[in-house]
Amino acid sequence: MNGIKVDINHLKKGEVNLGTSIMAVKFQDGVILGADSRTTTGSYIANRVTDKLTQIHDTIYCCRSGSAADTQAVADMVKYYLQIYAAQLPPNETPTTEIAANVFQEICYNNKDNLTAGIICAGYDKKNGGSVYSIPIGGSIHKQDYAIAGSGSTFIYGWCNENFKQGMQKDECVDFIKTALSEAIKWDGSSGGVIRMVILTEKGVERLIFYPDEYQK
Amino acid sequence: MSDPFSINGGSAVAMVGKDCIAIASDLRLGNQSLGVSNNFEKIFGFGDKCFLGLTGLATDVLTLKETFRFKTNLYKLREERSIEPETLANLVSSTLYERRFGPYFVSPIVAGLGHKDNKPFICGFDSIGCIDFAKDFIVSGTASDQLYGMCESLYEPDLEPEQLFETISQALLNAVDRDALSGWGAVVYIVTKDKVVKRVLKTRQD
Amino acid sequence: MAGLNFENYQRNSYLSTKGFATPRATSTGTTIVGCKFPGGVVIAADTRATSGPIVADKNCEKLHRLAPKIWCAGAGTAADTEMVTQLIASNLELHALSQNREPRVITALTMLKQHLFKYQGHLGAYLICAGVDPTGAHLLSVQAHGSTDIGKYQSLGSGSLAAMAVLETNFREDLTKEEAIKLCADAIEAGIWNDLGSGSNVDVCVMEVGKDAELYRNYLTPNVRSQKARSYKFAPGTTAILRESVRDILDVEETVVSFDQMEVDTEA
Repeated sequence: MNGIKVDINHLKKGEVNLGTSIMAVKFQDGVILGADSRTTTGSYIANRVTDKLTQIHDTIYCCRSGSAADTQAVADMVKYYLQIYAAQLPPNETPTTEIAANVFQEICYNNKDNLTAGIICAGYDKKNGGSVYSIPIGGSIHKQDYAIAGSGSTFIYGWCNENFKQGMQKDECVDFIKTALSEAIKWDGSSGGVIRMVILTEKGVERLIFYPDEYQK
Repeated sequence: MSDPFSINGGSAVAMVGKDCIAIASDLRLGNQSLGVSNNFEKIFGFGDKCFLGLTGLATDVLTLKETFRFKTNLYKLREERSIEPETLANLVSSTLYERRFGPYFVSPIVAGLGHKDNKPFICGFDSIGCIDFAKDFIVSGTASDQLYGMCESLYEPDLEPEQLFETISQALLNAVDRDALSGWGAVVYIVTKDKVVKRVLKTRQD
Repeated sequence: MAGLNFENYQRNSYLSTKGFATPRATSTGTTIVGCKFPGGVVIAADTRATSGPIVADKNCEKLHRLAPKIWCAGAGTAADTEMVTQLIASNLELHALSQNREPRVITALTMLKQHLFKYQGHLGAYLICAGVDPTGAHLLSVQAHGSTDIGKYQSLGSGSLAAMAVLETNFREDLTKEEAIKLCADAIEAGIWNDLGSGSNVDVCVMEVGKDAELYRNYLTPNVRSQKARSYKFAPGTTAILRESVRDILDVEETVVSFDQMEVDTEA
């Protein structure tokens, strides 16, 4: 193992970067994912309405941070693997979030020298209800009640730790995420735009969008 | 040190006239500032009315000349006809792009008339095979900056063969006189539907 | 024969360690844009190709056809945009033929992004990909590293900032086809005037649902060269000639002579 160096801060020149604020939180009925919508190349905002919440399966989503190209490629791979896997399951059964997260982990770990990808995988399945997994750069995996990641997350570690509550109601949880991300966006230059959310419950998928006028009080 | 494109020196230019084309190059081969040969032609014929000019690193010029001689000979055997200038252009493009991550240090130009319709065609390439289709003129080599200037001012469309010869010759001559790495003689091909005239020009020898 | 050849790579990187410069490729220091309108999509590009500070081509084509109704505008390394586009166009046609369906924009985009990701950004192709297919009109963009974006209006290339300024101020959801074309052309013109890497003319391609794609080559020509005031024709004989050789080109005529019976000795 000696001599292996991982330059976690390196991005290839001119690479499109998701200097991001992303999070996923468990609540009473399932899980909610949230993200800002800014994509940057250097100081230029390449896309101000990015969708960083990517569907992996029916009720499994991921939040992407790091290199846009790397995270899209990894998400596409996991999506493909889950399609093959789901086709082999008995009728009316779907892959668990745990499976999806572990596929992410496997790919991120095996290719860690070539990837700049910080991913939060979250979803709802009948067996486990809502669950949240964090797969940071390097390819480790962490099961959590809530996860925050991306450059903007550094500003909200303390606030989230103080204000997170187990088993929140839906509206309460949406407010929690909205407040957290609005602070992250406020302090982090590479985060911005709208706040996107995806709510994953037994009932399926619900998408929310919050514009700056609303969340910037 | 220096740029591989300008170790050996040399320039070439092609122009379109009325139902004719002209392609010309200098004759110098050098090693940095030392002149080595005054008889290094950079224009090669493929079929009767189709020509390829190659400037840049001399070793790559010769390698590519042979590569294209080989490829166009095989083409002629397979197709039972000579290669068209448009086809040669695409052949040059794909041959160069094959070496995308380790290119030949050359800037080729292609000029010719269509074999059946005698339609004039010229084009140029960068070292990795991007085609520059031009309707007027194409320049390449160490005096390309000077040639751009000469051609932009001297060129006019629809010149007759003899007029085109004077224009391309003066453009080349005056451009290479301002380039230390080009010169030492020049050669011009004027291609019309029924003949190819090759002229060796009287030039400065310094 | 197929595929890339890395033989000269070692030689060239040895050369560059010895201090030799690396070759400069023609780049399309470009402005390209695309914008959607109800019932279709339009893309546009300028026509300048540069090699360092030199304008290599004053009227090049940056609008590439991937399929009859899927077109893309390319910025970055000119050879890469051209070759990557030709490769995907070829594979897309084979795919459409084998599936017996019209090709989709998302298919083209996926093929492009997977190819570019494989090369880890070493292929410098930045593309705005647009078209109509059985699922409607689409506008997407791909960056060299293989990331993609979706949007109702997009711009790429060195003039993208100037173009985006125009798009951000004038874009509406309910643009008519004519307004969308005007908007794209205006955005490209912003690049032509304000970006040094962009110039010359505006090319436009319009793709409408249920119609054939329309390419307007040189839709705007705001930089026409004025008539030269003086001719620089030289008197015949100006250039001194040392030697002349003439090669006459003769037409070979072939006629097929038909005859009724071949004389064959059947006795022996």
